[in-house]
Amino acid sequence: MRIQVRRTGGFAGIERHAEVDTSARADASEVHALAERAVAEGRDTPPIGVPDGFSYQLTVDGRTVYCSDPRLTEAQSQLISLVLKEGL
Amino acid sequence: MDIRTPVFCGIVPPHILDRLTRADDPAVSGPARRTLQADAAHRTGRRLTTVLGAAARAVAAPADGPRRTVYDAQNGTVLPGTRVRGEGEEAARDATVNRAYAGLGATFELLTAYGRSSIDGAGLPLDASVHYDEKYGNAFWNGEQMVFGDGDGEIFLDFTVAVDVIAHELAHGLTQYTANLSYFGQPGALNESMSDVLGSLVKQRTLGQSADEADWLIGAGLLTPRVEGVALRSMKAPGTAYDDDVLGKDPQPATMEEYVSTGRDNGGVHINSGIPNHAFYLLATRLGGRAWERAGQIWFDVLTGGALPVDADFGSFARLTVAAAKARYGEGEEQEAVLKAWSQVGVKTSE
Repeated sequence: MRIQVRRTGGFAGIERHAEVDTSARADASEVHALAERAVAEGRDTPPIGVPDGFSYQLTVDGRTVYCSDPRLTEAQSQLISLVLKEGL
Repeated sequence: MDIRTPVFCGIVPPHILDRLTRADDPAVSGPARRTLQADAAHRTGRRLTTVLGAAARAVAAPADGPRRTVYDAQNGTVLPGTRVRGEGEEAARDATVNRAYAGLGATFELLTAYGRSSIDGAGLPLDASVHYDEKYGNAFWNGEQMVFGDGDGEIFLDFTVAVDVIAHELAHGLTQYTANLSYFGQPGALNESMSDVLGSLVKQRTLGQSADEADWLIGAGLLTPRVEGVALRSMKAPGTAYDDDVLGKDPQPATMEEYVSTGRDNGGVHINSGIPNHAFYLLATRLGGRAWERAGQIWFDVLTGGALPVDADFGSFARLTVAAAKARYGEGEEQEAVLKAWSQVGVKTSE
């Protein structure tokens, strides 16, 4: 499973992008479950969010959804942290 | 391309979407919290007129001084967190708390100098939460309060280290209660620019600097030493604040010739704000002296005057600043300087 996170906006307006491929991961099944929850809880169009808040674009195996701070679901928050921290 | 139309604007208005998804949102804990946050997001997303949703937090009588409360989110995301310092209470042991407290006070004082009691004009209490989330490299206004992260330590330090950042966030509250500029495209860039202008003015006033002495930087001191850059934005020289391997190069334009059309960052709100930012810098330095006095007053008059539409573009904002300069100072050097500043950044002040 390919999981991509693109983060835009924020006070700095600086974009970040990272990607994780779960095929070689020991925790692949956990990450898959997390990614599926995060996508199920996302939106098809970007929410407006709040001034200076981060906006996120999550793409999991080709399907893209959107979410934004400060109203991420637990799964979205965990997935975003994981991908931005461990992804390339 | 008409950049006033958001590229990814859906058919269903965002605030309706907010409502629809609200009920199933497990990130919010408990019904009270859910109502508060959803209301906040709802209010910020709204393109209608000003303070309709704010009655719950507004107070009847204007207060003489600020009423600040600083909370500690303790590296979680539940807002506001634990109350750590209220108005008039002695300093906390946590320097981050005290910086937020002082920054709110400095911003409140500038508003008072303009004859406005807090951001809503009616003494609204000012709340801020620090230590939001873990290694969180951002600060934002959630429609109700300011939220500050500690920074990721790699690129950003603690977001309370720069008083202009604190004032920037609070100014988003001022904009919400006044012109309520929508957060997309040119009105969004104006919204961002108003926050940068007020942020810089609060910093200059705190330091007692004249327009010539000021650095006109936004977020100086916020970047870690390893980043190649002095700040996040420069009003004096947009596009020059940083140039770094990881961060890339400061993308801000200074003039309309370099205007960036993009759907990202809410249509480039943090990018094209460089143009009105630079116009303000040109005005303030042409007039000289204290930037918050004449130049700042003109901008403040437009933001709070009631004539600025929520979907204002740069041109309509510019024309209102010309009118505001004339209304307050007559047809003198102020109006002349406003016209000149907009002309230099390529924004037309005639229809």
